[in-house]
Amino acid sequence: MDIAVRAAVLYFFIVLVTRVIGRRELSSLSALDLILLIVLGDAVQQGLTQDDYSVTGAMIAVSTIAALQVGSSYLSFRSKRAARVLEGLPLVLIDRGEIVDENLRRERISQDELAGEMRTQQIASFDEVQWAILESNGTVSFIKKGG
Amino acid sequence: MADVPDAIVLKRDRDLEGRRHEIWIRRGLFALLPLLSLVALTNAFGQHPTTSSKTASAATLQVYGSPRLRSGLLFEARIRIHAHSEIERARVVLGPGWTQGITLNSIEPGPVGEASADGRLSLELGRVPASQVYVLYVEGQVNGTTVGRRSADVTLYDGANRLLEVHRTLTIFP
Repeated sequence: MDIAVRAAVLYFFIVLVTRVIGRRELSSLSALDLILLIVLGDAVQQGLTQDDYSVTGAMIAVSTIAALQVGSSYLSFRSKRAARVLEGLPLVLIDRGEIVDENLRRERISQDELAGEMRTQQIASFDEVQWAILESNGTVSFIKKGG
Repeated sequence: MADVPDAIVLKRDRDLEGRRHEIWIRRGLFALLPLLSLVALTNAFGQHPTTSSKTASAATLQVYGSPRLRSGLLFEARIRIHAHSEIERARVVLGPGWTQGITLNSIEPGPVGEASADGRLSLELGRVPASQVYVLYVEGQVNGTTVGRRSADVTLYDGANRLLEVHRTLTIFP
């Protein structure tokens, strides 16, 4: 029974951590972000199953987290308020070609980083961008002018 | 082409109307994470050891060990008896915190005998001459599912005669 309880507690703790660290860290894989992801996975595993090496224990842990994941997803689907809390809302970073500095600062994104994101989507210049939107999953969507 | 992408509400998603407070909630929650680390540095969750001691005319009893542990941790505790006068048949009785939910790996030097004293573990240590020190090393591991708080008292007897007791509490975090 304790594995299910541990899994639930750790699930909610990780949801809290991932929500408060900001969306950028979720989607990007810079060297520093990679450290967080690796350490998170390893530390959680220790606390989750401890010395239980059984298949049953692993199945309980996976089932609990999967059930919580589906439950959260369903809650987000049914309730806009829950979706806002669990997943967040999109954020406009470029509005009709104008960079929204306040929103960049809010998410700790520099213009250089935003330019880097653009280049990954084959966009060379800010002049080409009509809209840039930080999605709730941490990725940045670009909509080109005249697109 | 639409002026604003579908599902984007400019007042909400660009001007942050009704969302400005969210960043402060996020920052507040984020502040809790380093706070947790700081609290941990103060030994709130173990496992820095402390010493508890009590003196009577016959002996001084010292217990060195961590009052806070976490599931799965290995630990060492020392029970030190300084006999002021000879203790003919030294015996220590350990509170439930020493044994419940804990795997005792070793007790050194090995006791002369073991028994149950009203449900508690009683260890016969033999004779401790006056002015001599007897140190009992207890090493163990907290079982993975053990949590909670329990008494980890240590009582020193000379045969059936109770000499003194050190009160301790062991808290085990999940």
